Amino acid sequence: MSEAQFVKVKYRLTEQVATPGGMTAGMASDRAQRELAAHAGDAMKSIGAMIGRLEIMVRDQEVSLDTVYNEASTVLDIAGLFDKRVLCDACYSLCELVDRQRAHNRLDWASIGVHVNALRLLWTRDGQDPDSLKSVVDGLWTITDRLAP
Amino acid sequence: MALDPKIRINLDRSVVLLVEQNAQAMDALTAMFRGFGVRKQFKATSGAEAMHVVKTQELDLIVADAAMPDMDGYDFIRWLRRDAPDASRFTPVIMLTGHAARSMVEKSRDCGANFVVARPFTPELLLQRVFWVAKDERQMVVAENYVGPDRRFKNMGPPLGVKGRRKDDLSTHVGAATAPNMDQSDIDMLLKPMKAQL
Repeated sequence: MSEAQFVKVKYRLTEQVATPGGMTAGMASDRAQRELAAHAGDAMKSIGAMIGRLEIMVRDQEVSLDTVYNEASTVLDIAGLFDKRVLCDACYSLCELVDRQRAHNRLDWASIGVHVNALRLLWTRDGQDPDSLKSVVDGLWTITDRLAP
Repeated sequence: MALDPKIRINLDRSVVLLVEQNAQAMDALTAMFRGFGVRKQFKATSGAEAMHVVKTQELDLIVADAAMPDMDGYDFIRWLRRDAPDASRFTPVIMLTGHAARSMVEKSRDCGANFVVARPFTPELLLQRVFWVAKDERQMVVAENYVGPDRRFKNMGPPLGVKGRRKDDLSTHVGAATAPNMDQSDIDMLLKPMKAQL
């Protein structure tokens, strides 16, 4: 076993955050939330376009699992920055499903199709009736969990 | 534990590198950090761009997405911790992740980021992690298979029967008592203030 070295590091960030001025954490969060809200419309449109591409992939059944995974994880990446929890959960289930299919070397378009249809539904009904949307996501996880990790 | 909303935080002079391949996500991240008061932000959409910024700028914080087209975020952090110029090697890093694919779990653990933030998250949570990084007092570990912040938040000593790798490592195994327990009166005497003889 090699000897590990321990290095004491002093970050400039530590001094910077404590310098006089700046703002309260509450104010910074509110400002960030407002700045972010200005991009939410474009982001949701972009997510809609990505779900459209996933729908085409499911219809044509010509692409690899890696391609589906990359598209689904991009939806997750964007939705995750806007705190779209339900959409993220559904997308996470799709990513997990595709990852498990890759691990088992099998391709089941039907289960992927169910996920993509659900993504479209959740995207269309963003923010409405959280309980019923959550039950949709629970159903997706039931499908994903049929395949062992 | 949530960040106290009354606590003051000043990021006016901080230089932040954002590494994110997707344009929409980059816009969102930029907006968040602008809201936090960060004036100087560098943006990189690939590992190669991020490496160039690291080599040419003095950075105070790096926020990197795990998924990138050429080299993923984990490989970028690995490069940063091992092969970047000395001035930048230990720059604090917050890694943003989406889905954790099975093949990436070990890479994520070993990449050397200060904190990993899983999506979805709110600006409040990201600000809290920035604050945590600023207050992070963990030492950097430089070992054959890992370079990054000490992954132990508390030093509990090495496991039983294992010789520690730090000079100051002590075993948690205390062993059986070699002397009888002290009386409460003896303990009280030890704590009692005494007049010093000058």
